[in-house]
Amino acid sequence: MSHSPDQFPTSQAAPTASSAPDSAKGAFAIETHGLSKHFGKRTAVDGLTISVPAGTIAGFVGPNGAGKTTTIRLLLGLVRPDAGSGAILGHALTEPERYLPRVGALIEAPAFYPSLSGRTNLEVLARLGGYPTSRVSELLEVVDLSNRARDRVGMYSLGMKQRLGVAMALLPDPELLMLDEPANGLDPLGIIGIRDLLRRLVAQGKTILLSSHLLGELEQVTDWLIMLNQGKALFCGPARDLLAQHVEVVVEAEDAVQLDLVERRISEIGYAVTREDHALRIACPASFAEELNRQAREAGAPDLTIRVQEASLEHLFLALVKGDRS
Amino acid sequence: MSVIRAFRSEVLKFRRWSLLVGAGVMVVVSTFLAYLTFHQIASGVTNPEMTDLLVSFHTSQGLISIIGQARALIVAIALILVTANLAAEWTQGTLRNLLVREPRRLRWLAGKMLALVLFVLLSMLLTLLISSTFILILAQGQGIHTAAWTSPEGLRIGLSFLGNEVLCLIGFSTLGMLIAVLTRSVVAAVGISLAYILVFEGIIGVVAPQVTHWFPGRVFNTIVGATVPIVGPTPTQGYLAALGAALLWMVGFVVVSAVVFRRQDVNA
Repeated sequence: MSHSPDQFPTSQAAPTASSAPDSAKGAFAIETHGLSKHFGKRTAVDGLTISVPAGTIAGFVGPNGAGKTTTIRLLLGLVRPDAGSGAILGHALTEPERYLPRVGALIEAPAFYPSLSGRTNLEVLARLGGYPTSRVSELLEVVDLSNRARDRVGMYSLGMKQRLGVAMALLPDPELLMLDEPANGLDPLGIIGIRDLLRRLVAQGKTILLSSHLLGELEQVTDWLIMLNQGKALFCGPARDLLAQHVEVVVEAEDAVQLDLVERRISEIGYAVTREDHALRIACPASFAEELNRQAREAGAPDLTIRVQEASLEHLFLALVKGDRS
Repeated sequence: MSVIRAFRSEVLKFRRWSLLVGAGVMVVVSTFLAYLTFHQIASGVTNPEMTDLLVSFHTSQGLISIIGQARALIVAIALILVTANLAAEWTQGTLRNLLVREPRRLRWLAGKMLALVLFVLLSMLLTLLISSTFILILAQGQGIHTAAWTSPEGLRIGLSFLGNEVLCLIGFSTLGMLIAVLTRSVVAAVGISLAYILVFEGIIGVVAPQVTHWFPGRVFNTIVGATVPIVGPTPTQGYLAALGAALLWMVGFVVVSAVVFRRQDVNA
């Protein structure tokens, strides 16, 4: 029996209580149902149904142009959906003024007034949101920018702007944080700092929607996963479940002809396969290893070594995206 | 309350050099233009184009006639300041940060525009104050009789000019707001604003002058010209009709901006 990668459980699947304690109570920080957005003839988000349990870090992954940023903009009330509905922290998407005071966001590259200082940039938003100025000093300390707070943002490095963006997102002491590539431009220490910060925030009961291309980083911090491609959810559920269900089968052989045969067979089935010197790496369910062994013998490739190892998020992502495209 | 928060937040942005430079240019260049005009008159130049100025120089309209020569510059700078400042929120991408913190878009826009218009008006007031003080000092230094300028009638004309100039700048600010909301780009917004005022209305004015009497740029300027004809076009339709038209344009610009901005997708 073949198991096509695009048959992974999607958003409609009920989240399991083991991976997301709050989901059992039905407390979703984010829920969308059939959310769609078109820009002219281009469909950016296509009937998206996803959910994020409260108190989790949800990884939000997808290739460029998958619709991640548009989805975040929809959730923040910056763009209006053409169809579908949703709720953030229990309030309808149509009433952003009800939930945004409890939401912090960093969308794409952080945007600031370059001729104003980092502190003043934060004060502009603090005044607008009605937060005390002391909160600005506190957050500059959290993101380690206190000593550069009076410098013009135009003089900041990309990493410093990113940290200021994180501070901006934290201004309202949010219950829900939406972060779009927060580690962009950060050095390894900065990335570790962000990772620790996210864990601290979740420990405080906050929910984080984290969009990132650093899949290895996401794998370390997320307990919920949403995979998006071409505006549709390929997967939405507990990250651990996905990683446990899907493994990487490594097929090794000295004979390149035998590997060619196997590669062709796997491609016909629809699994994502990566070719290395004398090996193939296949993202598929563990049960497929036995089936592969049988099919390889039938195809005339008996001298193979087949190993099963836990799949990385990166391989799963490739499998899902390639499977969706095929 | 949220309008006040938006206003206070916007006031912090007045520290930006681009705004300060704009206001500085308005003060310095306007004062310089007033000085040039004064110098020409005081030195006895008899250019036929200056006949009206020469006639009004020693009347109660004298001071306003001189400092009012820089009106076009004040209006252009004010229009650029408002349009560029608002459109920059899209171009820089800062609008998304602001609307996440204040999702009631119209309240944010109202607060921002209040602050911007206040900045533009204060810049204009400062410009008029500095240039008129400068001209008064110069005149007294050269022994020119200025009693008519500071007489009760002169002050009445000054205040009337000021009131209409305030209305005029508010009108141009609402036009700038509409163009910024529609274009969502600094370059496009400033380019279209200036092209509209300097080129479009000018060309139509040549082809069909009776039509342009009701165009926004024209009526905003006309209400100022009603007080001191030498500093703006004379209202052929009458001051009250021009004032009514100006107010209607302002309301129209505000309503269209509000309707568009409220429903607009923020992709910047």
